[in-house]
Amino acid sequence: MLLLRLAIRNLWTHKWKTAIVGGLLTVGTLLVVVGQALLASLDLSMSQSIVHSISGHIQVSKAGAKDRLKLFGSPNDGTEIGHIEDFPRVRKALEALPGVEAVVPMGFNNAVVYGGNILDVKLAALRKAEREGDRTRTKALRNHVRRIVGLLRGELGNLEGFVDLSRQSTEDREGHAAVETAAHDAFWQGYDADPQQAMEFLENRIAPMAMGEEMMFLRYIGTDTARFTQSFHRFELVDGKPIPPGQRGFLFNKLNYEDTCKHKTARRLDKMQDRIAEGWTLKSDAELKQWMELNQRQYKEITYQLDDLGAADVRKALQAELGSQQADLQKLIQAFMAMDDKNFAKRYKLFYAAIAPYLQLYAVNIGDVLTINGLTDAGYPTSVNVPVYGTFRFRSLDKSALAGATSLTDMMTFRDLFGHMTADRREELQRLQQGSGIKAVAREDAEAALFGADSDADEAVELAAAPTGSGAAVAAVGRDASAPSTGLADAATDAAAADLARLDLKAGGRRYGRELFGRRYNQQEIDGGVVRHAAVVLKPGTDERAVLQAVRAASDRDKLGLTAIDWREASGLIGNFIGVIYAVLATALLVIFIVALVILNNTMVMATAERVREIGTLRAIGAQRTEILAMFLAEALVLGALFGTLGAGLGVGGVLWAQAVGIPAVNDVLVFLFAGPRLYPFVTPLHVGVGLLAAGFVTVLSTLYPAWLATRIEPVVAMQGAE
Amino acid sequence: MPDAIVTLQGVDKDYPLGAVVVRALQGVDLEIDAGEFTVIAGPSGSGKTTLLNLIGCVDVATRGTVTIDGANTHKLSERDLTRLRLHKLGFIFQSFNLVGVLDAFQNIELPLLLQRDLGAAARTERVRGLLEQVGLTAFAHHRPGELSGGQRQRVAIARALVSQPRIVLADEPTANLDSVTGAQILELMQALNRTGTTFLFSTHDPRVVERARRVVRMVDGRIDSDSAMSPAAAVSPAAAVSPAAAVSPAAALATLTPAAADHPAAATSV
Repeated sequence: MLLLRLAIRNLWTHKWKTAIVGGLLTVGTLLVVVGQALLASLDLSMSQSIVHSISGHIQVSKAGAKDRLKLFGSPNDGTEIGHIEDFPRVRKALEALPGVEAVVPMGFNNAVVYGGNILDVKLAALRKAEREGDRTRTKALRNHVRRIVGLLRGELGNLEGFVDLSRQSTEDREGHAAVETAAHDAFWQGYDADPQQAMEFLENRIAPMAMGEEMMFLRYIGTDTARFTQSFHRFELVDGKPIPPGQRGFLFNKLNYEDTCKHKTARRLDKMQDRIAEGWTLKSDAELKQWMELNQRQYKEITYQLDDLGAADVRKALQAELGSQQADLQKLIQAFMAMDDKNFAKRYKLFYAAIAPYLQLYAVNIGDVLTINGLTDAGYPTSVNVPVYGTFRFRSLDKSALAGATSLTDMMTFRDLFGHMTADRREELQRLQQGSGIKAVAREDAEAALFGADSDADEAVELAAAPTGSGAAVAAVGRDASAPSTGLADAATDAAAADLARLDLKAGGRRYGRELFGRRYNQQEIDGGVVRHAAVVLKPGTDERAVLQAVRAASDRDKLGLTAIDWREASGLIGNFIGVIYAVLATALLVIFIVALVILNNTMVMATAERVREIGTLRAIGAQRTEILAMFLAEALVLGALFGTLGAGLGVGGVLWAQAVGIPAVNDVLVFLFAGPRLYPFVTPLHVGVGLLAAGFVTVLSTLYPAWLATRIEPVVAMQGAE
Repeated sequence: MPDAIVTLQGVDKDYPLGAVVVRALQGVDLEIDAGEFTVIAGPSGSGKTTLLNLIGCVDVATRGTVTIDGANTHKLSERDLTRLRLHKLGFIFQSFNLVGVLDAFQNIELPLLLQRDLGAAARTERVRGLLEQVGLTAFAHHRPGELSGGQRQRVAIARALVSQPRIVLADEPTANLDSVTGAQILELMQALNRTGTTFLFSTHDPRVVERARRVVRMVDGRIDSDSAMSPAAAVSPAAAVSPAAAVSPAAALATLTPAAADHPAAATSV
């Protein structure tokens, strides 16, 4: 009682010191409470994002693999995580464990997809118009193709400024020469004489030159699509339809689809629209401005795609909008794209009404057959065709690039691309090679080697239409003369087929559809082959750690050869994010508390020095050393309790306020971490308790030394004079 | 029958000061009986404060024995010495030494809180009684900073008395007071002495010496003289100074008497 009174009186008397130290303690405690609350909330939201979109609660993969599984953050290229030897047995063993809802087989991989080449598309349309005898369209398309060739020549001309021509390959030099030929007036006079001959030249020699720009990078996960969609609650189909159970198919992640497949100008306008809807203005936002400038600069993205008829319509629409008599389409588009906050909405609408109909809005459309190019596990190039069924998103993560980066395909397509050589297959292949006398053939010589000198492309189509992934080496066509023949044979689809599939995806689709895409694989087939890793999805409310232990125990017991990690570890860099924030927060808190500690200690030592006579008097009139110590500790505790409570109160208030309004995710990484556009944090009594404890601990710790000093004061000092 | 509360036998006190040893007290023998009003006089550096410190148990003798109320202080632990100070001794300091953050009432109550013997009601009653005795009832809730020097010393006297000690030690109690206030304080202490409290002063103030019934003179760490004064001689100058001033301690005396009679009862009742 006396101690408390003395403590409070002392604190009250030294208001300023108390305020400074108290302020520090308040801020420290507030940070402890808020920090913990945010981290706990973040951990939960992150688990929502990661667990229910891709990773599941636990990921299992082959034990003892060279690299660790990382689902996010770093590309998977070249990571060797091995593969699960006997997935059906793994699945059976793990699904028997209590709390496990499903075990979903998976295979992560990267790929390249070539988007529809505009020259190919236009040439196909031209061929069709010629066939149908549509004079107007033929003329418009012919002029359009001619313009594209002209632009291509211009681009190659620009390139020559940068590239040492003498070091170009024969292939490149021949390509350049072909473009020169096609850009010449004489060629187009020749076109009118023999359109078929000219179109063939354009398709075979010029179109491949115009392709590079449309390369799109994909991350995909091959899985049991039916089980995936059932087990991952955040999965949601956006467009199209689900992949029929057991069948081959591809689902684009909507965000990735928009970002990579959509017409660049249209995509930028969409993003501008979204950002403006979030309250940003063209006037003040640098990013919006940058997009707008790109739209003006990249006018070719539009002009490239417009034939004469389209160009005329667009010209008319833009002249009307701009109130201009300008005839130059480039200038019109640039003026149109110079938007401001007032006219953006109107022009955005006009773009989709008047320009977009003449553009190929998406490089790949739902219903197309996509040719996925990648490297097999052994490192050889391969490509596989697969029908695109639609797009999907992970609920409330549709704006997150991290969650939006991964597309889905079936296990069979994955395996064809992953091309893992089982021992059986390798043996079979060797037998085939020996039997057939197969040899590596360079690309330049492939046509001659395969079909003889005067080959017809249609024959190649028929050959390439053989089902992929059958394990039979149909033909070995080298893209690269040095590539060993086994790898090429493994990649069953050859380069010619891939090119043709690009040329007319729909036609290819129909062809494959009959033979492969309609096939339904049974569960045994889906589970039976190579599985790189698998997600273990738990029933709601199951203790993740207990199951993780159980999975490890089951692997040891049944010799499954698995390594099991939780979602945090499996998600790689992102999973460490919490750890990083935690470290940052802990460091900040440590600094604050050390500062508080030093100041408080200093203050108390000074106070002790000032109070030597008072303490001596107390000792002289009969206060024990322990009572002096208790007096100091009481002061510290009162200080800690008072300002700790204040800080904790403010912290709880802050968190509750944030809970009410939500913390907005200002970028796509945060959308992912917040598992949605806003984070609604929560606070628990534990967070408050830890905050109060920290405040108490710091004050008591900082008081120990001065308190000890005080107990050393001899009562005799009370007798000394006032001086 | 006078019995010795304080007994010093052959007491030396050395202070090491660098390489030399300063002998503050040399062969001091002294007995103080209950009810005495004794002054230890002498010039600065004569050892009177050292002597008081030894008797007050805030310091220990280098040689010899100091016995307080039958307890040989040499044989007591630090803890027991503190307890002895708390229960048997009262201190009045030259600079009052009040706790600045506590008001007059709380300062007086302090030893009782440290003793933990009395309940809140009993404490309040005793503190109020003492405030009245020292004439500070109206200032009970003033902090030391809001009191004059004389008022502060009266608070200090009340604090020294509140635990009903066997002996009150006062180190130069008038040194920081003007002469009139000093006289009033001395009269208060004399009045309290008459009710049975033993007082021991250290001072070089001749006015204090004048009022003593026994004067122990110190010179160079030794007792130079130890003489009993006639009570009349001791009191007369004060009586001559202010008959009016003498009334107030008398009034205090009137209130104190029943309380003094209660002392043994109060002490045993807890």
